[in-house]
Amino acid sequence: FRFKDSLAEDLQSADLVISHAGAGSCLETLEKGKPLIVVINDKLMDNHQLELAKQLHRDGYVLYCNCSTLVETLQSMDLSALKPFPPGQPEKFASFLDKVFGLQ
Amino acid sequence: LLVVAGSGGHTTEILRLLSCLSESYSPRHYVLADSDKMSEAKIRSFEQKRAETFSESQFSLDRIPRSREVRQSWISSVVTTLYSILYSLPLTFKRKPDLILCNGPGTCVPVCLSAFLLGLLRIKRTTIVYVESICRVETLSLSGKILYYFSDYFIVQWPDLKKKYPKSVYLGRIV
Repeated sequence: FRFKDSLAEDLQSADLVISHAGAGSCLETLEKGKPLIVVINDKLMDNHQLELAKQLHRDGYVLYCNCSTLVETLQSMDLSALKPFPPGQPEKFASFLDKVFGLQ
Repeated sequence: LLVVAGSGGHTTEILRLLSCLSESYSPRHYVLADSDKMSEAKIRSFEQKRAETFSESQFSLDRIPRSREVRQSWISSVVTTLYSILYSLPLTFKRKPDLILCNGPGTCVPVCLSAFLLGLLRIKRTTIVYVESICRVETLSLSGKILYYFSDYFIVQWPDLKKKYPKSVYLGRIV
């Protein structure tokens, strides 16, 4: 499917998600509590997607690999080792701005 | 409040940032790059939902030329950004926002520089708040590197960046 408005439904019914390292894709999947394997595109120069994927992996929220190691990752993965992902807190941002403008 | 919306992910992130703001942060003026198709729909949808709770809610949408394509060269980026400033300066002058909120797309550089300039000229003092994208864990985006020096508050979402850029504010993950 070329450009769907939202993958929310598909994500909801999936047991495992394999995705590129785009922040939106990763966060949406993790927020739905789905196990995620992130595949890094080696050929993308200036790979800033890599920073987020590596950090999420370091924190134990996702598995990651590149295109050539995907099959091996799928064969040896242990999804139960993945930690649940705590959501972001935009309230903290709102609080911060309120303080800046003396709106508290 | 003036909000700079960038392509795709940037817009999603910035709308999340706006989600908990009270109605004191109104009206909201959104600025988009002229070539951005998808952000407008997301913004309208966000504002529509907001209007369900806050009926007096007001917003507007303006477009300026895109300042830089992905991976455009440094030199040509300076030229295209200057061109965008020709549009962002009158727009910022017209809106005279108290607060500008942005999170990294190239579009925010001309807008913030315009506001900074209007501040220097004592026409309007705007508070510039920059929130670096959650994707940026260890390094800043190009917009971030520039606006670190021009923003009033520079917010990062990962502790490594706070260490590297001590003047920044760290609130944890906020999107």
